[in-house]
Amino acid sequence: MNDRSERAAGRPGASAPAASSDDLAAPLYVAWQITNECNLACLHCIEESGPGKAFHDELRDDEVFAVIDQLVDQDVPYLSFSGGEPMVHPQFFRMVEHACANGRQLKIETNGHYLDAKNCERLRELGVKAVQVSLDGASRPTFNRMRVLGEFDTVVEGTKNLRAAGVPIEINFSPTRFNIGEIGAAVDLAHELGAYSFYTGRTMYTGNAVKTWRIVAPSEEQYVEFFSILHAKADEYRGRMRVHFHEMGLLEELRYRLQHPAALLIVLPNGLVKLINALPFVCGDLRKQSLAQIWSSFRKAWHDPRVARFIEDLAVDPRGTSALHQWVYV
Amino acid sequence: MRLAKSVKFREEKFGGVLFETRSEKVFTLNPTAAAVIREIQAGRPEHEIGPVLGKRFEGGEGVIEKEVGAFIATLRQQGLTDE
Repeated sequence: MNDRSERAAGRPGASAPAASSDDLAAPLYVAWQITNECNLACLHCIEESGPGKAFHDELRDDEVFAVIDQLVDQDVPYLSFSGGEPMVHPQFFRMVEHACANGRQLKIETNGHYLDAKNCERLRELGVKAVQVSLDGASRPTFNRMRVLGEFDTVVEGTKNLRAAGVPIEINFSPTRFNIGEIGAAVDLAHELGAYSFYTGRTMYTGNAVKTWRIVAPSEEQYVEFFSILHAKADEYRGRMRVHFHEMGLLEELRYRLQHPAALLIVLPNGLVKLINALPFVCGDLRKQSLAQIWSSFRKAWHDPRVARFIEDLAVDPRGTSALHQWVYV
Repeated sequence: MRLAKSVKFREEKFGGVLFETRSEKVFTLNPTAAAVIREIQAGRPEHEIGPVLGKRFEGGEGVIEKEVGAFIATLRQQGLTDE
């Protein structure tokens, strides 16, 4: 999420300072991993999702809808449902309906394997703001190598179904050593498929990538070429498709976040709430606390010295991110 | 004029925030700018917003109206409104 606030005009000669999360009454964005279950077992998955990988304590149906009600009551404008694969959640469409009917802007982040024509039409009818499809490559061999159990052609077909139904499309691309050379073609493919946004960045050393790093980690030389192509593609598609990419490394990003926390909560499938995906810190539990309480804890937690220490320790040993799933309560 | 479908407004103690969810940009609003958004949401015609807020907020004669006009132009330029 790009949460760097911009100023808007107000009274004569005055301008509002950029709001920090400390100033806000509630989060602006809740990124909710609604299940850890997934039909794929991707080499780089930061959540270590896969078949049979649902948490044993994921939120029950009544708890899920109670959380959405709280998000509505607190006037959180923007939500995303991800996973795992969110579309395998048994209540997926009811959750989408409940969120959209109550005025939330909702983005679905999916691996694109359940986007048949009927589901795409339903997503349009329910009014989702966008569907973000993971399409890590411009060819079947690279995609299928990375997305274990996945099928490139199914994803392309599903994305075409989204377009036919009139659902706004975003494409997400995770670079690895063996697909990074396709970045230019992947951006072109995203545009051809009708995407309005393309997202990418650096692959994180966490989750499944810890075990597969030797296979997946791009070299710095590859990243240099990657970002060079992305700059060119951003220019090429300006005004037609937004090409977003995070060039800064994780440490730099986290140092920035420490000073400017995004008004963003990460909700895990079991209701625990994280400070940010790239840190192991948990600041609340939606089973035990209200969203308002957790928002208060979130703002305090960013000032906890353990958070700053963890980030600075990454400067010494970047492999600290391998422990992101060993949650630390702050 | 109305806010674009992808734009959400929320009141805050300092004024308000506009969240443009397509680009995921957040715009921080002071109280006067937030008042402009409330008037837009209430369906007030654009030409009436400046005069109405001119009576409500301090500023030299015609200044608020001018600033409101500039702010609405900015909203339009940023794609935050539909006609």
